[in-house]
Amino acid sequence: MIGGLFIYNHKGEVLISRVYRDDIGRNAVDAFRVNVIHARQQVRSPVTNIARTSFFHVKRSNIWLAAVTKQNVNAAMVFEFLYKMCDVMTAYFGKISEENIKNNFVLIYELLDEILDFGYPQNSETGALKTFITQQGIKSQTKEEQSQITSQVTGQIGWRREGIKYRRNELFLDVLESVNLLMSPQGQVLSAHVSGRVVMKSYLSGMPECKFGMNDKIVIDKQGKGGTTDDTAKSGKQSIAIDDCTFHQCVRLSKFDSERSISFIPPDGEYELMRYRTTKDIILPFRVIPLVREVGRTKLEVKVVIKSNFKPSLLAQKIEVRIPTPLNTSGVQVICMKGKAKYKASENAIVWKIKRMAGMKESQISAEIELLPTNDKKKWARPPISMNFEVPFAPSGLKVRYLKVFEPKLNYSDHDVIKWVRYIGRSGIYETRC
Amino acid sequence: MPYFGSEETVKELKRALANPHVQADRLRYKNYITKVIRYMTQGLDVSALFMDMVKASATVDIVQKKLVYLYMCTYASDKPDLALLAINTLRKDCADPNPMVRGLALRNMCNFRMPGMPEYIEQPIVAGLRDKASYVRRVAVLGCAKLHNLQPYTDMDGSIVNELYALLRDPDPVVVVNCLRALEEILKDEGGVVINKPIAHHLLNRMKDLDSWAQSEVLTFLLRYRPRSDDELFDILSLLDAFLQSAHAHVSVSTLRLFLHLAAAHPAVQADALLHTSAPLLATCGSASRELRFAGLCHVQQVMRSQPGLFGTHYKRFFCGYSEPSYIKFRKMEILVELVNDENVAVVLEELRSYCTDVSPELAQAAIAAIGRIARTYSEKCLDILTGLLALKQDHITSAVIQTFRDLVWFCPQSTAAVCQTVEACVDNPQDSEGKQALLWLLGEHGEQISSAPYVVEGYIDGLKTELSSAVKMELLSASVKMFLCRPAETQDMLGRLLHYCIEEESNMCVRDRALLYYRLLQRGVEETRKAVTGPKSDPSMSVLTGRQEEPISLWASAFNTLGPLSGRDLCLQTVIISASAQPSSSAEEELLPGSKDVTLSCPNDTEEEISLSLGPPLSHETFEKMWLDLEILHRQTLGFPRPKAAADTLQAALQLVKIQTLAFTPGDTVPWKAYLYTRGTGTLILAELLQEDPEAPGTEGSLVVSVKQQPANQHTIRGFVAIIKSVFQTLNFDRL
Repeated sequence: MIGGLFIYNHKGEVLISRVYRDDIGRNAVDAFRVNVIHARQQVRSPVTNIARTSFFHVKRSNIWLAAVTKQNVNAAMVFEFLYKMCDVMTAYFGKISEENIKNNFVLIYELLDEILDFGYPQNSETGALKTFITQQGIKSQTKEEQSQITSQVTGQIGWRREGIKYRRNELFLDVLESVNLLMSPQGQVLSAHVSGRVVMKSYLSGMPECKFGMNDKIVIDKQGKGGTTDDTAKSGKQSIAIDDCTFHQCVRLSKFDSERSISFIPPDGEYELMRYRTTKDIILPFRVIPLVREVGRTKLEVKVVIKSNFKPSLLAQKIEVRIPTPLNTSGVQVICMKGKAKYKASENAIVWKIKRMAGMKESQISAEIELLPTNDKKKWARPPISMNFEVPFAPSGLKVRYLKVFEPKLNYSDHDVIKWVRYIGRSGIYETRC
Repeated sequence: MPYFGSEETVKELKRALANPHVQADRLRYKNYITKVIRYMTQGLDVSALFMDMVKASATVDIVQKKLVYLYMCTYASDKPDLALLAINTLRKDCADPNPMVRGLALRNMCNFRMPGMPEYIEQPIVAGLRDKASYVRRVAVLGCAKLHNLQPYTDMDGSIVNELYALLRDPDPVVVVNCLRALEEILKDEGGVVINKPIAHHLLNRMKDLDSWAQSEVLTFLLRYRPRSDDELFDILSLLDAFLQSAHAHVSVSTLRLFLHLAAAHPAVQADALLHTSAPLLATCGSASRELRFAGLCHVQQVMRSQPGLFGTHYKRFFCGYSEPSYIKFRKMEILVELVNDENVAVVLEELRSYCTDVSPELAQAAIAAIGRIARTYSEKCLDILTGLLALKQDHITSAVIQTFRDLVWFCPQSTAAVCQTVEACVDNPQDSEGKQALLWLLGEHGEQISSAPYVVEGYIDGLKTELSSAVKMELLSASVKMFLCRPAETQDMLGRLLHYCIEEESNMCVRDRALLYYRLLQRGVEETRKAVTGPKSDPSMSVLTGRQEEPISLWASAFNTLGPLSGRDLCLQTVIISASAQPSSSAEEELLPGSKDVTLSCPNDTEEEISLSLGPPLSHETFEKMWLDLEILHRQTLGFPRPKAAADTLQAALQLVKIQTLAFTPGDTVPWKAYLYTRGTGTLILAELLQEDPEAPGTEGSLVVSVKQQPANQHTIRGFVAIIKSVFQTLNFDRL
């Protein structure tokens, strides 16, 4: 149960404050500012206890969102609720920034009023909320719209309303993955995982029943049992082992557990169908080979080679390599074969940007870093070299095998639906130690 | 609010809101209302505008209405008489054909916190409970809770409670959960909402319709339900099985808690549930948001208290990312220490070593302490790393390494030689007081193995005038006296100087008293001093007891998935350092105190050698029972007097004073009377039973019989223990006379 919600800017000024219960006094707003936002030392924990009141906070860019309670609540739930709130706000007005919050503050109060009542979560599905809080506020409604709200509000399926019609039935599937890597200087993978999301945009009429299939190892193996051994060997290579996955509320979990099939009635518009993680057989799109040599006390030579490791026909984009430099750097000379590299003194790093790079290519940068002699005995900690990129495939190897749509009541079949599938692999925390 | 020019602003707003031209222009009017709310958010007192805002509530624009209601809810308690003016509009809205408007009006009416409100809202709430739109029903149900909050214990309560129980069958899932929440608040004094069999089963069947927040809450409510039979229990568990792997961390953790609670009598089921949840828990630990990751890690730590091996193969998941906040890194390191085994020790140590050079000194020290903990099992590899770190010559690292050495020597004596060699070779000394204390303790305790020890100590004595910390001075005194006992020739002169300075010039009373104590002790002769000052140099039994010990699940299950695991041990690794550092000095203190009695009181019976008891970590009932059954009675003695008539808690407190823990005893004056005690002393664990038979029975004379079991056996300690028990009871009996 949440006693109050506050939003602050980075200076600690209150942008939004909504108190739901009597036990949270008005001084709670100031208590959080003084004890956490203005505190000298680093944040010690996302949960702060001040005078028997717990403050849960989440930071988005430079905005603080804090939930306050006096009860012993479920911490994970409060955090997830705060994220959900961020998602809802993002769906309404885009990025959460000070300016956006100030401009939409009436809307935010409206949302806070609906999402929580007396501190209890009520309705947090963006789709459902959008039917009764429109951006401009509610105007006088027609009879039909009114009945729609009632059905929305009473409907059993919270995520979809009845009577949706589209002239063109269309759906878009995006497989978005972020690949994370920590590699030792010798090229040994210390830890690597892919966390992916399948985001679906559905524009389908009626109450369609959908079935989604991918190259999940368990399913393929199961099917492979019936076929020849040759088949299993072939398909086994292409299937992937999913460590854990979670689904949108609409997916029937019982069916997934028994048959591992993913069937659901999708919400209208954009939503996240599933989230998953894999740790095995990850295709690492780039390999970073660092070479750091200390020449005396005042000079460092750095050479970094990056190799792209995917099909030559594909193009990686927005490549950025960030090579950290010591604090006492006085000057840097950079030579790179491709792209542009710049030393950014304010960030203590050399930033090397390449617009595009095809697969199975190699590129390198070498830099000479001049150091100021210091009497500081502290050794430079050598932060890892990090990388950002975007590639048009899924590093986990996930493939969408099918997405079937059945709508028995309306007369359109699976073939009439136009389907689009797209794969995007982005870098998460992609670091190589040097 | 002390806001500069705030009065001006309020006046201006008041003028604008009252201006008929503004009122005619809807957009401008609304803009002013928005402005009022904006000031309210910033903490400006705009309650003076109440009258004008109430007027603004009579509008068809719902957004404007909402804003005005928000304003009124904030200030209604300050201006109750004016707020009543708005009630009529609200009550009219409660009958609006649009369910949205009805719900909105009802919700806000219930939110007004002021006396006299209940009589106006009772009727609309009751009507709302029967509304055909679920939106209004949701609001009305929570309205009941708000009504109760405003005016507890009205005669209304009974009928409302019945109505709410009936609404648990509502088709709308949110109404159902709201009913539970409202009932919980209304019936708080009677122990909350009652979950009987039909309700429990109904809720279980509705689980999949609920949203995740509601699922989590219902699972918590279900903790109250006790299934009648094992069959029912397993039916419930199989229904809930799917939720163990829910998409939402909080749901899967709540389910786990319910599983652990329900299956308390079936350890195999509990273990299975833990195994099932390990994947979602790990996923939470790697989730994109750091706060959830933190919560996940805290819960993993809880699970590991009972099942340390569960995450063993996934140790790489707990490696720290460079950009992670320190609170996550601390937790991960704690977990890594627990996960070390023969296969991964090299990799984990390599990883921890890279954290030792972290930019944040706190983190680096925690990493060093973590290596120190691992060193208790894998001393050789860790000592190499720690020694290597000394070469970096950084103050905070050196200090942490020395502190780690001290704890290590205390816990595993076999590493003493290697540590002494390293300390000898270490040229620069720690600069902070914690580190200085650790170094001094090492020098004092193991001075005979470190050839340069007296010279280092001398350096400290020479710099005494500039030393600020009294703790360092006290440690210096102890170290010098100990050193004097083993290397008198080199130390005598400087000890004299030190005592002279501390007694004559020192202004801190504690330091002065400590110096006087040592001085008097030395006056009694060297042998007396040696007896008092030197104690055990290490306590290997500690590491076994503080090491991995599988705790029963019941110990933590009740606090699982609450705030408990997240708070409490904020920076655990550091508390470990502190507690460990407290131990040696306190044990030295203990050794000292009886000695000091020697000087002043001259203890009556010298034959009874002193033994020192300590409480150590608490024993659980299960462990005690198991050990009691396994061990044999080593000693049985009739004490020769009946049990004291003092109250049970007096007895418990008295025993606690002499460091004996009471585990359980027969309540009241029932016969036979029994009590179970345990304590630790000189490396052994002592368990004891006190028994008093019926005083009328022949041959017993109503005397207390004490039976002692011990592991490992040590007759000397038993004798000491019985003597202490005797003296405690004598004192208590004496008090009664």
